[in-house]
Amino acid sequence: MSKEKIKESNEADDLQQGRREFLKNVCASSVAALVAAPASAEAAVDPANPDADVTVAEFFQGHFILMSDEEKKQAIARLEKRYSAQYGKKTTVSDVPAPEGVLFGYALDISKCIGCRRCVHACVKENNQSRHDPEVQWIQVMKMPKGNISFTTEQLDKGYPEQSEFGDYGVQVGGNAYKTAGFSTEDAQNYYNDDLVPDKDFFYVPVQCQQCEKPPCVKACPVRATFRDHAGVVLIDYNWCIGCRMCQLACPYHARRFNWGEPNLPAEEMNPKTHYFGNRPRMRGVMEKCTFCVQRTREGRNPACLEACPVGARKFGNLLDPESDVRRVLATKRVFRFKEEYGTYPKFFYYIG
Amino acid sequence: MDSLHKSSKIVVLVLCGFLVGGLSTYGIAYSAEEKPAEIKSTQPVTDCFESRIGYSSVTGVESVDSKYGYPNVKCSQTTGAVLWWGDPFYGTIPMGEMPEITDDTRGDFANAVVKPREPQLQYFNMGPNGCKTCHDGKMVPFPKGNKPRLIGMHQDIVENSLKLMHGHGALWCLNCHSATNRNRLVDRQGTEFSFNQPQKLCGSCHGENYIDWRKGVHGKRIGSWATGGKKRWWVCTECHNPHTVQATRFNRLKPEPPPALPRGMKNANYERVGDGEH
Amino acid sequence: MNTALSFAMDFGSYAIKGGRMYYAWLLFLAFFILVGSYTAYIQFTQGLIVTGATDQVTLEAFFANFVFTAHVAAAAVLVVAPGYFYHRKDMKELAVMGEIVAMVFVATGITFVLFHMGRPDRTWHIIPGIGFMNFPNSMLAYDTIVLNVYLLLNLIGVSYILFKKYVGTFHEKQLAIWFRPIVFLAIAWGPLIHIVTAFVLASNARVGMWATAVLPFAFLTMAGASGPALVVLIFLLARKYTRLEIGDPVIDLMTTIIAWSLGILMLVFAAEFFTLLYPSTEHADSLKYNMFGHNGLNMYVPWFWGTIGALVASFVALLFRKVRHSYDRLLPMVCFVVFFAILIEKPMILVFPAFSPTPLGEYAEYHVTLIEFFNVLFVWALGFLFLTLILKGAIGILTGEVSHEKASASS
Repeated sequence: MSKEKIKESNEADDLQQGRREFLKNVCASSVAALVAAPASAEAAVDPANPDADVTVAEFFQGHFILMSDEEKKQAIARLEKRYSAQYGKKTTVSDVPAPEGVLFGYALDISKCIGCRRCVHACVKENNQSRHDPEVQWIQVMKMPKGNISFTTEQLDKGYPEQSEFGDYGVQVGGNAYKTAGFSTEDAQNYYNDDLVPDKDFFYVPVQCQQCEKPPCVKACPVRATFRDHAGVVLIDYNWCIGCRMCQLACPYHARRFNWGEPNLPAEEMNPKTHYFGNRPRMRGVMEKCTFCVQRTREGRNPACLEACPVGARKFGNLLDPESDVRRVLATKRVFRFKEEYGTYPKFFYYIG
Repeated sequence: MDSLHKSSKIVVLVLCGFLVGGLSTYGIAYSAEEKPAEIKSTQPVTDCFESRIGYSSVTGVESVDSKYGYPNVKCSQTTGAVLWWGDPFYGTIPMGEMPEITDDTRGDFANAVVKPREPQLQYFNMGPNGCKTCHDGKMVPFPKGNKPRLIGMHQDIVENSLKLMHGHGALWCLNCHSATNRNRLVDRQGTEFSFNQPQKLCGSCHGENYIDWRKGVHGKRIGSWATGGKKRWWVCTECHNPHTVQATRFNRLKPEPPPALPRGMKNANYERVGDGEH
Repeated sequence: MNTALSFAMDFGSYAIKGGRMYYAWLLFLAFFILVGSYTAYIQFTQGLIVTGATDQVTLEAFFANFVFTAHVAAAAVLVVAPGYFYHRKDMKELAVMGEIVAMVFVATGITFVLFHMGRPDRTWHIIPGIGFMNFPNSMLAYDTIVLNVYLLLNLIGVSYILFKKYVGTFHEKQLAIWFRPIVFLAIAWGPLIHIVTAFVLASNARVGMWATAVLPFAFLTMAGASGPALVVLIFLLARKYTRLEIGDPVIDLMTTIIAWSLGILMLVFAAEFFTLLYPSTEHADSLKYNMFGHNGLNMYVPWFWGTIGALVASFVALLFRKVRHSYDRLLPMVCFVVFFAILIEKPMILVFPAFSPTPLGEYAEYHVTLIEFFNVLFVWALGFLFLTLILKGAIGILTGEVSHEKASASS
């Protein structure tokens, strides 16, 4: 029953449904693309100049979801050839579909997180982000003060607040406990650079794509380059994205990152196991974000950030499986979602263990 | 008309100055920006610690995975921590027999593997017989009772054996270490366990955490996310040091570097704590 | 066909003829087009990294300027509407001028959007049929439709009127049946491009400053002020330097519209600021940052007070009859201030500060880079170049200096 329900609300399926009628149009109107595709896949690749090998075929490439199997094969062969030449190692681009009967979910224990940012850099290593200019990181860790920083006894015990020039006739003029405390982005520090963590007066909240059930980014994309797959993960077709950044504007979690310039990815650090919707090297001017490591999780492995976390604060699994780590957390811990008031229903849960 | 001519000349000159000056300033600014933050190409860190410094470490091996040429791990060049697992099962052994608990926390141990603890323990590696190299009953005689006394050895583990801080001072070494077989741990019933399976000993007192751990809620597991899939489990002592739990629960760590500031921002000094006024 | 050709030839040759000042102006624009072609080349080869945009402040000066061009384009209907709705003959004569302003500024706005895009080469992805338009979900899809239709409507309207006048058959009874519906549709479409552009911003719940129902109204009133301000300037120049007759009542009507719009804008601002500042919830954080700065980041503060001050001052000035009737001194000054203040308002109040704090509590300042600045000037210069040429040609036709009769007589 629940599986059927998920299928119904599946945005990727909507895309698929329209595919047949759509393909007719595409085929009719972009014959040029089809003709050009096989020819240029053979074309020689100049590894020194990545700009020159944006071939005609790639330019005319359609939305990946709407391609025929033959077109998909060609597109992937093109990419593998180009990446292998460009980075000097055998690169695979997978298009493994999302497993059936799975809804991915994530849980993060903010009482355990020590703010070491290992997840951030594990993600960078796994997902082939641009290392500098622009530096792209999909996870950002907020450092938030515990209540004892905001409040001290002396400060709280100052008696009544000073009278305003209007007197105190029912005018709300504040008090001694007017500072933010606890889970609030108001006093969050995103650029903390301490010698040692955790700082005892602070706690840490890593934020990445929350894989919303009602993703505002998918709604905002004018070309459907971003969509939700049937395992509940929001993905991007980097070759279809037009770089308008409406999704970045729509996202209430600051989860999306833009390739402002040509990404800088050293060949020796490049991860050659890639997925079309996941960690394959991106090009200038497209959006990217956390995919729950689609190249790993679709094949059964945990995301890189989870594996790097030294304290086991991160839990990942199938929300449809009551035996999974995430469901166990949901069942036994006090769970909340970040910015629930936006009504996006994330599948990323925070809990206090 | 003449003045118009003159003023238009001035306008053109000013515009040219604007152009040349502007573009050259931009050129300077841009070339300064262009320089990448050069990563120091000193000897790359290949020996790195897994979760906590000194608890378990791993040596990077190139091309463990033949298909992708992956190393087993990638280490942080700034902190020496493992950042990325190429092969989550590198150097692991089966977890071994785990007791069944007849409730809903049966545990997903079918394909469980662990990293053996014994090679990670400094004193265990002193000789071929492990701890028994010294604690063989002759070189160091077996102690008669479990009465706390000052010990002149192993001060790096417990500085003052009279102030051992496990169980608020209720426990002493031989409550957990077998008196006659130092290569093994022992519980209150006298059952002996391997150092590779500390969870069985710890779980005998810390039941609630033990059950959370068996459920996958407490502690760390890597590998497969699927129920029944192959997983590497972290055992208790890979994160917790039982000898110092009450003095210092965990040693603090150096964090990885912060993200780059947004272009155009000089610093993040506005991030002051406690300044929020409402 | 021959008529169409001679229309184009006559129109073009009249448009590029002018006095010393006219050529100076064209050269001035050409200068920025020249420089801008180089900076645009840099941007299109290196990407948006050459602008000041970041993941924290993701909309650059291009988008801010696009919103402004939408203002001006939409407001041009205020020149068309009085003629067709209230049958003001003097306005009806000039309606085509308004349509030209609308047409050129919509095109300028679309160019700004192309500069805003990370992959302008993939623009075809949004064209239904060969691409995939996420209609009816994406607000940008609506905006694309609305802007292009408006451009098309005005293009048809303008060329039809000018051609008919050129041939000399622009009389009520000789017009095509589709002409009036198109004009009325264009009038209705003006506010629409505006409202949709406001919704493009207001649809983002993440940016608290935009998640407000008054945004379309603020946009409409700012359009009502900035568009007519430009039109007044154009009319004043046209009647000074050309033979086109524009009566004082026309200018007065435009001035009245500016004054009313500014007045309503004051109310809209007041309502918005009150609603944010009295409860002072987190939605007010961006506005407070804009007004007073945040922990030492106060780059936007002078811009905020300067812009608001300029708008209030122009509103007060326009209340005086003396200013409104000072056609060659005070009125153009005030119009210039209004136009410029609303142009500055876009990046410095509406767009840049609205992004701080980000959802994770970051504050960022936006520093416009030189390349970005020259690219903005490039698009503006292109827009004004086309505006000048088309208006000049149109004036030739309106005054009767260019007509088919004359052309065939001389040849």
